[in-house]
Amino acid sequence: MTTAIPSIACLGIIGRNNNPLHISIFPSYDPQSNTFAPLRTPLEFSLLLSSSIDIFDLRTKHNAINNTPLATGDYGLLHAIDDRLAAYGFETNTGVRMVCVVDMRGRRAAVGSSSVRSGLRDAEMKPVFRAMQSAYVRLLQNPFFAPDEHLGPVGGHGGRRITSRKFGEDMKRIGEGWTPGVTNL
Amino acid sequence: MDDFPEGSLGHSVPFLVVSGLNGAEPELPIEGDLKDQGILVQSDLPRLETREATVLDELFTKVDAAGRSWQGVDREEKFRFRVKSTGRSVLLPPRKAQLPDSEKEESSSTSLPVLHSPFSPLSTCSRLYPDGLIDAQWIQKHQHLVPSIILSFYTITTDPTTTTLQDNRLKSDIAAFRSALVASGYKTKLAVVLLADDDSTPATQATGLQERLENIRRGSGLDPKSLFYIPPQGSPGELKNVMLNILSALYGPAVEYYRDLGRHARKKRSRGIAPQPTVPPTSGTSRTLELAGWNFRYDFKSAVLGEFRQEYDAAMKSYEQAYEVLLGPDVLDTIPSWSPRWNEARLLADIIAIRCLRLHFWLRQTSLAVKRWQAHRDRLADFVERRGHGTDNYGWQAWEARWALVMADLMDKVELQGLEPESGAMFLPPDKAVLGDRLQPFELLHHKGYWYRTAARALMARRRLAARIREEDRSPPDQKGKVFSYDTYLCPMPYEENPLEGQGTNHAQLIVDCLLEAKAQFEARNQLRIASELSLECAREFSRMKKWQDVLSILRPLWESRVFRSEGWHGASEDLCWLIRRAAAAERKADLVVAVDWELMSKQFAQRPQWSYDLSRSLEGIELTDKPTVSLTDDQHESFVDASFVFRNKESRAGDHCSAQLSLTSNALAGAAPLALSEIKITFDGSLKPIVLSHKAGSGSDGTFLKSATTLSEQFDENSEDGLPSLLKGDDDLTLVPGSTRVYELSIPLREAGEISAASLELTYRGEQFDMTYGMKLGRASQPRGWYRDGFKRPFHARDDAHTLQVQPRPPKLDIQVLEPRNQYYANEPIKLKVQLDNAEAEVASVKVDVHLFGQKAPIFTLSSNGEEEEQTASVAEAESKITGFSLGKLESAATSDLNLAMEPLDAPTTLDLHVRATYHLDSDPATPIMQMLPVQLAIVSPFEANYDLVPRLHHDPWPNLFDHENIVTGDEASKAATAAKGIAQAWCLICHYASFAEEDLRVLGMEMKVAPSAGHARCDVVKQHPIPADGVVMTPKTMEEARFELTAQKMSLDDRQPVSVDVSIVIQWQRQDEQDQPVNTTVMAAGQYLVLSTEPRVLASVFEMPPAAAAATAPDDSLMHLDITIENPSAHFLTFGLTMEPSDEFAFSGAKQTTVHLLPMSRRAVTYRLLPLVRGTFVRPGLVVRDKYFQKMLRVIPTEGMKIDKDGLLVWVPPGENEEEEEEP
Repeated sequence: MTTAIPSIACLGIIGRNNNPLHISIFPSYDPQSNTFAPLRTPLEFSLLLSSSIDIFDLRTKHNAINNTPLATGDYGLLHAIDDRLAAYGFETNTGVRMVCVVDMRGRRAAVGSSSVRSGLRDAEMKPVFRAMQSAYVRLLQNPFFAPDEHLGPVGGHGGRRITSRKFGEDMKRIGEGWTPGVTNL
Repeated sequence: MDDFPEGSLGHSVPFLVVSGLNGAEPELPIEGDLKDQGILVQSDLPRLETREATVLDELFTKVDAAGRSWQGVDREEKFRFRVKSTGRSVLLPPRKAQLPDSEKEESSSTSLPVLHSPFSPLSTCSRLYPDGLIDAQWIQKHQHLVPSIILSFYTITTDPTTTTLQDNRLKSDIAAFRSALVASGYKTKLAVVLLADDDSTPATQATGLQERLENIRRGSGLDPKSLFYIPPQGSPGELKNVMLNILSALYGPAVEYYRDLGRHARKKRSRGIAPQPTVPPTSGTSRTLELAGWNFRYDFKSAVLGEFRQEYDAAMKSYEQAYEVLLGPDVLDTIPSWSPRWNEARLLADIIAIRCLRLHFWLRQTSLAVKRWQAHRDRLADFVERRGHGTDNYGWQAWEARWALVMADLMDKVELQGLEPESGAMFLPPDKAVLGDRLQPFELLHHKGYWYRTAARALMARRRLAARIREEDRSPPDQKGKVFSYDTYLCPMPYEENPLEGQGTNHAQLIVDCLLEAKAQFEARNQLRIASELSLECAREFSRMKKWQDVLSILRPLWESRVFRSEGWHGASEDLCWLIRRAAAAERKADLVVAVDWELMSKQFAQRPQWSYDLSRSLEGIELTDKPTVSLTDDQHESFVDASFVFRNKESRAGDHCSAQLSLTSNALAGAAPLALSEIKITFDGSLKPIVLSHKAGSGSDGTFLKSATTLSEQFDENSEDGLPSLLKGDDDLTLVPGSTRVYELSIPLREAGEISAASLELTYRGEQFDMTYGMKLGRASQPRGWYRDGFKRPFHARDDAHTLQVQPRPPKLDIQVLEPRNQYYANEPIKLKVQLDNAEAEVASVKVDVHLFGQKAPIFTLSSNGEEEEQTASVAEAESKITGFSLGKLESAATSDLNLAMEPLDAPTTLDLHVRATYHLDSDPATPIMQMLPVQLAIVSPFEANYDLVPRLHHDPWPNLFDHENIVTGDEASKAATAAKGIAQAWCLICHYASFAEEDLRVLGMEMKVAPSAGHARCDVVKQHPIPADGVVMTPKTMEEARFELTAQKMSLDDRQPVSVDVSIVIQWQRQDEQDQPVNTTVMAAGQYLVLSTEPRVLASVFEMPPAAAAATAPDDSLMHLDITIENPSAHFLTFGLTMEPSDEFAFSGAKQTTVHLLPMSRRAVTYRLLPLVRGTFVRPGLVVRDKYFQKMLRVIPTEGMKIDKDGLLVWVPPGENEEEEEEP
């Protein structure tokens, strides 16, 4: 018998004006067919990322009212979408938001593996966001990347998405490399 | 949770029956035969009909209502009861079931059968007989039928005459009631409240009341804590307070009652045997409830009774125990899944789980609650998989949905703290019990929206599975009792869920209900994006139900607020558009269909295969009565067309043309049909009228870029007041090919001044099926603002705000110029200027001219127009002269008018500023004055400059003799001959070198010296003017001429010793060389002031080639020269001079080499030398020294004609001889 462990189902970067900059979707293990397939459609994942903006906004407002601003930008668990999917969030100090959707049963683990533990702590997501942030910083360091073009819709036209192949590879590496307990991506 | 049996889930709180307050007839709310078998416990005394009774009845209704709440009872709360109020009698359910009729005969023979409670599976009348576990009826019995306490109300009289009688009646009645209650077999307690009657007074109350109460209590056999007395109260409020205190006092005994029952249940469990039913089952399987079932039953009972006592931990423990037993190997595992008992057991498991969840909520163990929720689900799923029909059918999903809704309902009913919309929390933090554990994210309790959404997901799965029901199962079975392999727990049979014919379960409606609930929750928490997502899902369900109206009503707000679109979530907005498109087409909303089609053309969206992206065919297949006109704006509808409008330059002038570019870029999907617009209208803020471009079928270039120049023509309104054009029209090919950029270069005539900014653009499409306009704002910051240069497909950045243009006022087109201007104007000449005004306007202008002249001293001038008519004199101010409002009348287009300006001559050189300002208005627009000005600077220079030298000459007349008596005049004669000068005379010569400073030739026509004696005691006469030829002397620029003037000065009186100064000026009369017909100009130049006739002695040398007297007598010797040294002594002293003549190599001389000359006052003497020059044609230097003997001072010898002097002394010119004439040159 195998046990399911969490894996990343989707990584999203959301621009300062709530515009999607990047979406990576990762397949989850389906025990019935013994295959890997994304849990939801790209449309559903994009709606899911968009809905996380609400929570970012609410938390920010709430923190502002209570005068407890987040020092690190780590929003931790944003919300659970159902009993499998949960969204975790991180905000850079330039207002770019990073969302990681975790599938709690996305991966098989062999019985007896020491890493099999149920549940997930917020802290276990930190390496993911650290890696995403450094990938994003690397992207910004590229002199041919114009962040202003990705600012998002000011006058009604959506901003451009990130097209960097290297960035996409970074995201793929993060999304596939992470399991609970991984500290360095 | 409504599907669970009534009473199975209610909050269990102590049950209290109040009797004697109203006239309600007792009844048993149970069904079947038991209804008639109730035990009646009644009292004979009349019920209370006082005011207090009403008040108390109301109070109990409220207490009961509070008792229904599902909120947890906390320690502060004094009591919580469910209360039923009846009349004097109370009906209790039968304690024991009756023997069934069939058994009665048999039992009479054998031993008496043991009777059991009618709710027990042991009794044949029970629904549970013979092998049921337990059902809601048992809970109902304790919650609604058998009270813990019966509270009876009586009146106690205070009338002294009847007290004993009344007390005895009370005593016996209560006693009878009590004994009837005890006889019923229930442990229900009796409490009595005695109310003082209305007539009582404090006095009557006091007398022996205590004894009476004690008497009644003892007589009726009540315990001391069960009798209450309420004295008359002042207000209903006080009465209520008293009553609430009594209820608090009763709460303890009530809890005690349930504790006893619980103890009883535990006792029975500990016996460890399964009781036998009254009558062994004969039909069916003849299976009876086994011991494990009984253990479950007892555990369940003690759990519920624990809940009655509000002992949550104890209740939880019992529930968990019961749950484990139920799902253990001995109970549920032994029940076959086709048996109705299977579903009953599942129901019990659900009830226990729900009650456990509720206990967790009451204990604020929210994470444990979620864990419990999940555990129950997993356990049941496992069970259904193992023993039931599996989880892969609609029944299981129906249960999943129900199970999620249970959570939402529970949170609602328990009124859980911490997740209210105001708190802003999505989920609760983990509770203390699991604080350190690794939790699944959803185990942090999320708000109700999460659970509703989970339910909706399950319902969707249910629908999917329901659609997979086999066809043979979809029609009602022929024979009864057909077993289906579907899980039908709490849900319809397969032939009802999805029948072959007729309506089955309306899944979509169920889903929509859940989604809308969820949406309301998310919206309340301001999670608008999730709410939008749910709206989309709702709309999908509505469209499945073909409720197009609902689709539109739920999606339109989303679409109009552009929630996804504005932030670039294209996938979601595309989904939204297609949903709306479908609904709008079904609802025949043409405007919406067109608007959505317009949006869907954008290449931001994925291209749908098989779809024709052609706006003109949008309304195909939609029946419409009339041709719709659709109007869209970019505020509400995104566009695939990017537009920008750019003026070439920042500024222009009214009357000119400015060039501008309108560029339209189509970002339509590559497969879309080209869109041929009918018209484009550009409107402007400011004074520019709209531009309308109409479609004209053109070349139809296929390239991605096309630039064309479009000519505009002005359209005039017939009844326009200002005569300005109302519209600018042009035509061009307005076809927008997907992915291409179309640039229209316009040359716009400007008519009015002011700032113009392109405000909006309206694209009009007119098709066969509909007309459409799309309004766009121009000048947004996001719009590209570049200028397309020839040969480039990308625009060059023009500037910021390139959509605005500053139009300067109309430039004057009246030209003013000075005709034939001179290079120089001179002082002393009248200046004439000819100014020409040339009307270059297209129409007749009425012109007035103002002329201003500024300078240090502005001269007077006159103006005349066209050499005739008006002539005006300037009005002179200090340094300014001007003529204003000089009217020139109407000037035809292209006509000219000349203006002659004549200035008086100026005395001195100066600089003048001349401003000629023409103010005019056109006949077509008299209100707008137009002004043109010509500034001219005139530099006035003087034509001549000169320097002067006054040199002495020898006056040949003899000096008057002091001793000549004839010249002595008397006083009378002196006045007569005032003019006749008698003094010493001197001769002078003014040498004037004058030059022309003009840049052109001047003709000097005459020169004259003028002498103005400064005083009357001397007379100066000009002896000889400089001669000028009759036709004058032409002076070329930068040449110098010499002129000599001779004058004599003579003192009037010999006695006068004062020196005389003379002012001399030279007058030149001249003309410009090319203006000989003009009057002669006169320039007066002051030559300065000179002193003449001083009293100092002077020595004048003069030379003659031949003495005048000897010229004729002696034979002329050309070479001989006479040098006269004339010494003048005009002073009144006797002076002695010594003369020395030194010999020289250049000449020989005769005369005194050294001599002394004595001079009397007022006399002069001459010493003559004869020189024979040895050289010719050069100066010789006679070494002549004149010395004042007295003062030992050398006198300067002043030369006269033919001589000159330098620092070494006198030089005498020796003319050359005849033979050397050629080479002589002075």
